[in-house]
Amino acid sequence: MKKLVTLEINGKLQELAVEPSESLLQILRKQWNLIGTKRGCDSGGCGCCTVHLDGKAVYSCMVFASSLDKHKVTTIEGLSSGNELDPLQTAFIEEDAVQCGYCTCGMIMTAKEFLAKEDRPDEEQIRHAIAGNLCRCTGYQKIVKAIKVAANR
Amino acid sequence: MSLTSVKEYFTPGGKQEVLELLEKYGDSALIVAGGSFVHGLDARDLLFGIEALIDIRNLALNEVSSDSAGLSLGATVTFSELQQLNEIQSSAAFGALRDALKCPPVQIRNVATIGGNIAAACPYFDLPTAVMSLGGVVQAQGPAGSREIGLQEFFAGLFQNTLETNEFVSGIFIPALPARSSSAFIKLETNANDLAIVNVAVQLTLDESGSCQEARLVVGGGVAETPVRAIASENLLRGRKMTDELFKQAGAAVQSDLEPISDHRASAAYRSATAKVLTERALRRAVARLDQAQASI
Repeated sequence: MKKLVTLEINGKLQELAVEPSESLLQILRKQWNLIGTKRGCDSGGCGCCTVHLDGKAVYSCMVFASSLDKHKVTTIEGLSSGNELDPLQTAFIEEDAVQCGYCTCGMIMTAKEFLAKEDRPDEEQIRHAIAGNLCRCTGYQKIVKAIKVAANR
Repeated sequence: MSLTSVKEYFTPGGKQEVLELLEKYGDSALIVAGGSFVHGLDARDLLFGIEALIDIRNLALNEVSSDSAGLSLGATVTFSELQQLNEIQSSAAFGALRDALKCPPVQIRNVATIGGNIAAACPYFDLPTAVMSLGGVVQAQGPAGSREIGLQEFFAGLFQNTLETNEFVSGIFIPALPARSSSAFIKLETNANDLAIVNVAVQLTLDESGSCQEARLVVGGGVAETPVRAIASENLLRGRKMTDELFKQAGAAVQSDLEPISDHRASAAYRSATAKVLTERALRRAVARLDQAQASI
C-alpha cells in the first residue's frame, strides 16, 4: 500500500505517495527528476547515489522512501545557491577532478559532509573519507587534490 | 531493490505496536532500521515472502546509557553515533569496538545500527566479532517482556538468530571490564567497501604482574557460519606473560579452532593463514593499547 510522506527536499517541502519498497534514489530520479544523483550498483557499494539525509551522507539507494516523513534531503542540485557554485564544485572544476563524471555528484556530497566536520584534513583523512565512493577513471589523485583545495578556501 | 513481495512499510511509535505487527505478520515480517543490509538479504534470496517491513526507529531505542555495570546501547543507535561516545573513543577496553566501527564507509555508518548489525547474523560483519569478544548480550523484546541472550547463543547459523518470531532486538549490553583490560579488532578485506575475508577481535585482562587473567578471542568474517571463540588460543594465553613468542603460538592455535569456508572471496587455506597472522597482530595491538593507557595515568 502506498504511504503518504512529507519531506523537505533541497529546501522545499514536498508531499508524495510512495510504494513500500521504493528507495529515495528512485523517487529522486523518477518523481522529482533530480538526476544529478546517479544510480550505480543500486546496492550500497559504489557511492554514486550519495545524498544528505538530515545533513548526513547516505546511500540513497538504501534509504526507504517510506521512512522519510518529516526528514530533510539535500541532493547535488541543492548545493549551489542560485548561480553560485559550492566551493567544492568549483574546486572539482578547477582541478579537473572529473573524467566521465558518473561518480562526481556522489563524491562531492560525501566530501561536503566530511569538510563540515574536518576543516584542515590531510591526504590520508581525505582518502579514508571517500572510501565509500568508487571512481573508475581518475585514479582519485585529482579528486583528493580538489577536496584539499576546497578545504583550504 | 526488487522486494516485490513487500506490501507494507510500517513506522510504529511504540513497542506494543511492533509486537502486534509481529503477531499479525509472523514470518512474513522483517524488522528494519537503517535498512543498509536489506539489499544484502535480497541478493541472497532471504527476503522471500516478506510482506511487511517494520521500521523501529520511532521507538526511542536510539539511547545510550553507561554505568559501573556496563554500556547499554539502544538497538537503533547508529555506527556514527557510537563513534562519538566518550567510552568508545577513549577506553582501551572498548578498543575492539572502536576499530571495528572504522571499517564501513561513512554512508553506512550514518544509517547502520548496532541492533540491526547483530540481528542480521551475517558471518562477514565486523561488529558481531568485536561485540562477542567484549562479552556483549542481546536484549530481546517479546510479548512476555525482555530477555537477555549472550551472543554465542544468539547466533544460530548463517543469517539465523535464536529470536522467536514474536521477538525483536531492543538493545545490546556490553558489560564493563575490570581494570587493566584492553581489546582490539583487525579485519582483512579486498577493498575498503567489502565484507571481511577474516576478522579477529581479542579482549585481554592482565593482572598486576602483567600475566593474562582473562582472554576472549573471536574470529569471524567467513571462517564459519557465525563468529567463533578460539578456545585453544584463549587457554594458551591465560596465566602467561605477554610476549611475541606467545602471540605466535596463540595465532597458530587459532588455526586448530577453525574450519574456514571457501568462497569467491578466499579459499579456506587462505582464511586459515590469515586468521593466524591477524590474531598475532590483534594481540599486539591490544597489549600496546594497554601500555599506552597505563603510561598516560
